[in-house]
Amino acid sequence: MSQTLLSIREVSKNFGDVEALKSVTLDLNRGDIVGLVGGNGAGKTTLLRLLCGLYKPSVGDVVFLDEGGVEHPVHNVRSNLGVVPESTGLYARLTAWENIRYHSRLNNISDEAAWNRTIRLARALDMEDDLQRPTRGFSRGMRQKTALLRALSHDPDILLLDEPTGGLDVTSARRVRDLVRKLGEDGRTVIYSTHQLNEAEQVCDRIVIIHNGTLRADGAPKELMNNTNTDSLEDAFVELTQDASRDVDSPEPESKFQQLWSRLTTRKKNPPVGGDENA
Amino acid sequence: MRDAFSRIWTVATKELLDFVRDWRTLVALVLVPLLIFPLFFIALPLFLQGEMAELDDYQLDIEVQIADGDIMPEALTQPFIDYHLNVTVTTLDSQLSNLSESGTDAGRVRSGQLHAILRLQETDTNSSESWNYAVLYDGTSELSSEADARLYLILSGWEKQIINQTLADANLTRNEALDPIHWDGDYADANVATSAQTAGFALSMFIPMIVAIWTASSAIQPSVDLTAGERERGTMEALLCTPTRRVELLYGKWVAVGVVAATSVLFQLMGLLFAIAFLMPPETFGLPTLSAWSVVSLLLSVLLFAIFVVAIELALAVRAHSVKEAGTVLGPIVIAFIVPAMFAQFVNLQGIEWWWFVAPIFNVCLAMREALLNINDLTHIALWLGSSLLYALLAVTWAARQFQREDLVESIS
Repeated sequence: MSQTLLSIREVSKNFGDVEALKSVTLDLNRGDIVGLVGGNGAGKTTLLRLLCGLYKPSVGDVVFLDEGGVEHPVHNVRSNLGVVPESTGLYARLTAWENIRYHSRLNNISDEAAWNRTIRLARALDMEDDLQRPTRGFSRGMRQKTALLRALSHDPDILLLDEPTGGLDVTSARRVRDLVRKLGEDGRTVIYSTHQLNEAEQVCDRIVIIHNGTLRADGAPKELMNNTNTDSLEDAFVELTQDASRDVDSPEPESKFQQLWSRLTTRKKNPPVGGDENA
Repeated sequence: MRDAFSRIWTVATKELLDFVRDWRTLVALVLVPLLIFPLFFIALPLFLQGEMAELDDYQLDIEVQIADGDIMPEALTQPFIDYHLNVTVTTLDSQLSNLSESGTDAGRVRSGQLHAILRLQETDTNSSESWNYAVLYDGTSELSSEADARLYLILSGWEKQIINQTLADANLTRNEALDPIHWDGDYADANVATSAQTAGFALSMFIPMIVAIWTASSAIQPSVDLTAGERERGTMEALLCTPTRRVELLYGKWVAVGVVAATSVLFQLMGLLFAIAFLMPPETFGLPTLSAWSVVSLLLSVLLFAIFVVAIELALAVRAHSVKEAGTVLGPIVIAFIVPAMFAQFVNLQGIEWWWFVAPIFNVCLAMREALLNINDLTHIALWLGSSLLYALLAVTWAARQFQREDLVESIS
């Protein structure tokens, strides 16, 4: 049986009156490549932020289990996590290597070890010649690849990737997918958040569907299709998420005064349409 | 603990590297403070001299109105030429109740047709020449005011001549008649303060304010960039996913902003001292001489003030979701630092009440003033040191609490 690395137990997350995530339970095992799939505002980002300890659950626990099965709060074991946020989060005035080195130092990894690992992975992503360039001029794809290298520089057990192929060209996206599969084979757990169902099907051996803050399905792609009597993952997804999507994912809590002020300064009437034909 | 220091150092050095890479920040926070006083001491006098010379060269149109029957005094003819005045002589309106009544002449001066009108009327006295006079001018016009100033100088010279002549006729000297108790020797020689003391006194009136203003204002941009800027650019989220504790992040960023602000203040003070030493006339004042304790006291007060200010600015900036929002909040906050610093300049140090040395901002400004004056009052030192440490600690604690906010990863963008 695979060893569980991350355990999410009955986790709910509220932002003010909005329940962004409702009673989610999930175990992530070593070597799993889990596709986190859901529409806009489904709760994917909230779940990812809970997994890396940026948010504290309103209810429930997120724990990391070490090799001896001892549980640790996830914010205490961040050196086991590699994260690629959707925004990539690179410093424009630093080179790609300086960005990577900054995070590896914060993870207590020596520059030499980080460099050796980075250069090896950079070759796989075809960007070893760009490591000493400032990231200011990087394309979206280059930024994504740099963020991926940064997330891997300290050799984490768990990778949390938020839309890792967003903005990449076909070849680069394939390289990233190949790398992710290789990481899974090496025993790393990868959480792969994406909108692209076909990509999730190609890369992941397990799909988790989230909709309106609730866990709708968790299983292998084939399993989801069988359970819903559908022929494709897309059909299965549609079947499982038939209720209307909500508009808000993780709204920022607003102060009472700000809410009042927004109400006072927000135009209620629709703008006039149709020109002045009635004039 | 070692890991924590290592991470704080990593954050601080990365932020400083980021600053050094941005030449605009270097210009704003290093070059401008360094050059502002030397430029001020060179450029301002040159500018003022140029403006005054330009004004001196103007030929101004004056009308001299003399009462019917009086003769234009000869003593005025040459001064009018020397002061570049074109003079027209007319007869004074006899209907005026007094010479200051502008009457219909006001319009001519106001319209710029004439720059000023000098009215003269000789009066009868027993022993000497005596005149009534008035000058009509427009106080809102630079040239009219200049004409008034030149006429004042001419009339003062003329009056002196008349007085001297009258006194000479009575066999009296000016000192005997008008200045029977008079200063002997050079007035400046009687001031026993050394030039270094004078310098310390003069600098104590504005160095605390410069330090307060510049520390507060130079910390704004880096504070905003390192907090709200990181949130807006999305770099904060990636950073918070590392094992770095949030309080370590705060300390690292605090060190970086503190270094930038302190460097900026230091460069400004260096520029000021350079200007005093090399650009000011030596007779004005020289460089102050400070005791070792005064130097330590000065540096400590600046350091504690910087800790306090930077922590407050970081805490406020990290609450903002965008750079714009942070700028809107921090802009007016600087005034909260500047106003007490300005007031602290005018507090009398003689017999000063103890509580001034525990009042926030006042305490460090007054500590700097005392240090520059080489006043080492142990009670005052204990009070400002203790209270400054407390305020710095409170500010850092508050900033640390702000860095624990869960919405730190959110941004408006």
